[in-house]
Amino acid sequence: MKSRACKPPALARDATPTPPAVQQDLPFPQAEASSRAGARSYRRAPAAVPVERLWFCIWLPHLPLEANRSSEAATAIVEEQHGIHRILLADAEANAAGVMPGQAANAALALLPTLLREERSLPGEQQALERLATWLERFSSFVCIADRDVLLLEIAGSLRLFGGLRELRQKISREIRELGFTGLFSIAPTPLAATWLARSGRRVCIRDETNLAPALRRLPLARLNWPAGLCEALTGMGVTTVGDCLRLPREGFTRRFGAEYLLELDRALGHLPDPRDSWRAPERFCADFEMTEEQSDRELLLNICRELLLSHEQFLLARQLGTQRVCFSFFHFKASATELRLGCARAERSAERWFDLLGIRFEQLILPEPVIAVRMRSGMAQPLQAETDSLSFQGKPGVQQRRFSITQLAERLIARIGDQSVQATSMVAEHRPHYAWRSQSLLADWSGTTLDAPAQYVRRPLWMLPEPALLPADSGYPVHQGCRLRLINGPERLETGWWDEDGISRDYYTAINADGRHFWVFRNRNRASSWYLHGYFG
Amino acid sequence: MENPRVWRGRDQAAQKAGLASGYPELDRHLPGGGWPSESLTEILTTQYGIGELRLLMPALAVLSRETPVQQDFSEPGWIAWIAPPFQPYPPALQQCGMDLSRMLIVRPGNADEILWSAEQALSSGTCAAVLLWPEMLDDQGSRRLQLAAEKGRSWAIAFRPLTARREPSAAALRLELHSSAQGTCVHILKSRGGRPTVISKLL
Repeated sequence: MKSRACKPPALARDATPTPPAVQQDLPFPQAEASSRAGARSYRRAPAAVPVERLWFCIWLPHLPLEANRSSEAATAIVEEQHGIHRILLADAEANAAGVMPGQAANAALALLPTLLREERSLPGEQQALERLATWLERFSSFVCIADRDVLLLEIAGSLRLFGGLRELRQKISREIRELGFTGLFSIAPTPLAATWLARSGRRVCIRDETNLAPALRRLPLARLNWPAGLCEALTGMGVTTVGDCLRLPREGFTRRFGAEYLLELDRALGHLPDPRDSWRAPERFCADFEMTEEQSDRELLLNICRELLLSHEQFLLARQLGTQRVCFSFFHFKASATELRLGCARAERSAERWFDLLGIRFEQLILPEPVIAVRMRSGMAQPLQAETDSLSFQGKPGVQQRRFSITQLAERLIARIGDQSVQATSMVAEHRPHYAWRSQSLLADWSGTTLDAPAQYVRRPLWMLPEPALLPADSGYPVHQGCRLRLINGPERLETGWWDEDGISRDYYTAINADGRHFWVFRNRNRASSWYLHGYFG
Repeated sequence: MENPRVWRGRDQAAQKAGLASGYPELDRHLPGGGWPSESLTEILTTQYGIGELRLLMPALAVLSRETPVQQDFSEPGWIAWIAPPFQPYPPALQQCGMDLSRMLIVRPGNADEILWSAEQALSSGTCAAVLLWPEMLDDQGSRRLQLAAEKGRSWAIAFRPLTARREPSAAALRLELHSSAQGTCVHILKSRGGRPTVISKLL
């Protein structure tokens, strides 16, 4: 064993002579070597077995172009450098015409007059990256945005679910392509190594930690995203690859270039832990759809909303959540945005169902101006309650599909006529007639249970007036529409509620008029004896 | 008369048993021995509070508690009230034997929405009965309600003013209520498969 005192150890620490100080730092000592044995001994001592990690890196070299692209025509992204607009990135069509990165925008325009030039938008790129990260959460519980154009996934835990590394890689790469992005992938046991390998443009897959060091050694320093000055200095010394770098003495390297880069190499090789922050998608969904020109075609707007609802469904699906509220904003050029809010009785994620509700409301929506952008925001995400369907052995799909549950009915009604207009009722154990019941929103946490109020033996009217109506009196008897009422039942004395502001002390009577209509009238005991009408016996 | 092309209304209606109204005298005059559920019933009245709800309560109480005949819906149906003129008072409804946990009260803003809500509730298949107080209901509207009631196997009850008496309607049953000091009498104006008649002092 080489001693540190007699010879300065090389940058690359071989696995055997690891200095004790660093050994303690290693989170998963000799992860790869024990992985085979570990698989077998897993059941016996789960805590002692290190967790194998595998990082899937996606590098998006064309992100500035793909995030901001607005049309199919030849496009180039321009960026201002020292006062001159230069081409940062051009698509294949522009490249074929000779437009190259670094060119002045004017020169590019001379080569291709139809070239569409877009200003680079860093926020747009960040948004696209976050959208991708959110979308990637379906493949792994650990996604992280490592750089402006790099995404990392920890996939060791996902391999079995997705049927192996090969299938997972194919699935991710296919879906990224379908989303309209160009990605370069690499897989390595450490996040930094995966990033470097992906940036090198080679599709590398390293599962074994023993293969990691040889693969990294060949990597040119230019791919490490190190500062240009540092790379130049190293190149001047004849150090061009990671392997060359690792052969340098550690102490000298630290003295000349700082410990930072040495530690980075250690992390890439897995000698040092490399903790990453996991990307946490926002719990509320918010997505925008911007149009290139103002649109007033309602069919088209509905289709856009449908697209948004579908991505909303995906968003919720990844979390096994649902939401009760969805809000659409239609932005206009001048007028303030038109809002459309939808509510559901229970947490819901199905785009079809939201679209159904949207259709009802959208019919009535008045848009003051053509729309330039649509934004969709969802309410608080909630755990999804699965709906219980009846188990039907004589399958009659036609019959069942036509029907929908009471919650669906309430949702449809609420979507069109408003939350306050659709109510359920329940009883309250209370003697005061106007407190003896309450209405409840069906969207709120409505259990559908009724309190077993004590039976009231005195007959109550089926119709209740919202407020008692004052009745004129004729020699002590109430008069309704010019007709003196005859009291046929009562009094029923209700004297209660002294403990709050709204105490009552009333004598209730059943009265009848000449036509045989039955009224529920009362007289206050403690005040002037006016008569009030409180209900009809319908 | 044996010719199958000759339409005989009475045979058709008689096939379906009605929903017992709780008033034997009324049941005797109704085809099928009760309310024609799964169709539209119109009740014409000048004023509220003369027993128009009491007339329905026994049947509604049964509907709100019993499991419907349909096998694919194991829970009892809901009773929807659409645009009632006053607040249906839950304690009184409970006294009449109704299950309050299955009551839906809807207050739409305009005549169109009343009709639309009623149609939705009827055709949904979850409501056993839908009571509605339409501001206006023309022949076409009543036909729509009748179709929705058939589709959702639900009982539609529309309360209308006496002035609607002369207007045509697709309702299977039209009643007119008159109150007097002696009691409320019921005129059967139209009854699909039955005969117009007058039942005095029913309530």
